[in-house]
Amino acid sequence: MESLAARITRREEVAPHHITLELDCPAIAHAATPGQFVHVRVSGTDDPLLRRPISIMLRDNYRGRIEILVRAVGRGTAILSNLAPGSALDIIGPLGHGFPVPEEDSRVLLVAGGVGVAPLIFLADTLQLAEQQHYVRGLLGAATEDMLVCWQDFAGRCEAFQAATEDGTAGARGLVTELVSEQLQRGVDIVYTCGPRPMMARVAELCAEQSVPCWASLEQFMGCGVGACLGCVIPTRLQPKHRRVCKDGPVFSASEVAWEELSE
Amino acid sequence: MTPDLTTTVGKIQLKNPILTASGTFGYGEEYAEFYDLSALGGIILKGTTLEPREGNPPTRIAETPAGMLNAIGLQNPGIDAVITDKLPSLSRFDTAVIVNISGRTVDEYAELARRLDPVPSIAAIEVNISCPNVQHGGMQFGVDPVLIRDLVQAVRGQTTHPLVVKLSPNVTDILVMGEAAVEAGADALSAINTLLGMAIDVERRRPVLANVTGGLSGPAIRPVAVRMVWQLARELDVPIIGSGGIMTARDAVEFILAGASAVAVGTANFVDPRAALKVVHGLRDFCGTHGVSRIAELVGAVQTG
Repeated sequence: MESLAARITRREEVAPHHITLELDCPAIAHAATPGQFVHVRVSGTDDPLLRRPISIMLRDNYRGRIEILVRAVGRGTAILSNLAPGSALDIIGPLGHGFPVPEEDSRVLLVAGGVGVAPLIFLADTLQLAEQQHYVRGLLGAATEDMLVCWQDFAGRCEAFQAATEDGTAGARGLVTELVSEQLQRGVDIVYTCGPRPMMARVAELCAEQSVPCWASLEQFMGCGVGACLGCVIPTRLQPKHRRVCKDGPVFSASEVAWEELSE
Repeated sequence: MTPDLTTTVGKIQLKNPILTASGTFGYGEEYAEFYDLSALGGIILKGTTLEPREGNPPTRIAETPAGMLNAIGLQNPGIDAVITDKLPSLSRFDTAVIVNISGRTVDEYAELARRLDPVPSIAAIEVNISCPNVQHGGMQFGVDPVLIRDLVQAVRGQTTHPLVVKLSPNVTDILVMGEAAVEAGADALSAINTLLGMAIDVERRRPVLANVTGGLSGPAIRPVAVRMVWQLARELDVPIIGSGGIMTARDAVEFILAGASAVAVGTANFVDPRAALKVVHGLRDFCGTHGVSRIAELVGAVQTG
């Protein structure tokens, strides 16, 4: 785990209010595994005060760089998304427990919603480069076509890919979860998901019905990012019930999450 | 010349005045990945209760202007697990370990002190009478001088460890509360805990925190904390651990000048995992550039006249 100043080497607007940043940070790039995140300080002042947890979307081990996807939803992410290449960014990482590795030659289904695609791109990239012959299918859902952020980065790393939009402007019309049942019928050994909570809760439910193991990457307001403050817990079916997203997660077994108690 | 940063808080000997505030540093191990905790004057552990507690449901944190609200609700594994699982590994660090305790009743506080009494590796017990985030987590004690007296006396009777009483700022006159604690046997005071606050999500028209209200910390509360430390130090002959929004060495010096013998770095640990270490280094630099040979010279040295 490193705390360091990373230089922004590239900035790209990939959709309205969505940008990708490439960061030069060899120590983090070398150590990162899919599902892990970085904790980013968006400003050098006391306001906004707290860091922002952001998933690692890709890493370039050779050049020592990582890529992150930022959705400008609040003041902090707005500042972050306006930083220019060449700027230094104070980041800590890689943090948290990532996705568990699938068994040999698995049929893998990745279900992403919106910016939840980021950690699944990293996972797809890693599975593609793995020696084992996994068969990876990807699903990505969004409200509209222009919100299917980074879909090409995702699709290009999957053997099969399908998109869904709520307004039908691209891919299947409707929710991405409607495509999950069909995929499960075709045979899936393991599912990984990241996106809005109702989406992940539905994916978890469908997987449970078919007894397919499912891993979900969760998000939560965060204080320290390193497991000390207990600010980012989620309710689980485990004992003790509250588990830290930053340290025990962000990836959890979907069957262990108390989805019905999770607020949106 | 290297400045002398050693300080004492009553019977507690510290190699430097920088501690970490309870609830912001876990049990130390999370931050041991970033630096050697032996560099710190001490570590105040997360609030511990008699039985394990689940804490409050999420959402537990909200960001506010130059600060944050939290309503963790004292999630912790209970005193026996802290003694068995957490304290032994901390003894590898050459730093003072202070255990923060919270209870629902006077008897619970006394029992916590009794169980900690035979533990030799701790430097002191911090009695939390000021947690605003649980219904029976201390603050009902911390706002009533009669209850403070009863509680501190009961705890005092169960242990020979130095007792630090952590005061709540959510009172009209903190001096009355501090006096009660000292009369009942507190060796030192800790000031301040978080200020009771609230944030509302205007889109959802709902409080951000599941607990509705929470404790405000961070730079936003520093002037309030400095004022309260100064009020206590001016009137009471008792050492004080100051805390509230310390981000840099200059902030620490502000508290020391106001009368604090030591300070606790809290929310800054979240912003920068090496914040407390940086304050130690910065304090050394400050003394060097200001010709201060002993940090103890600065305690209460503010000139108000």
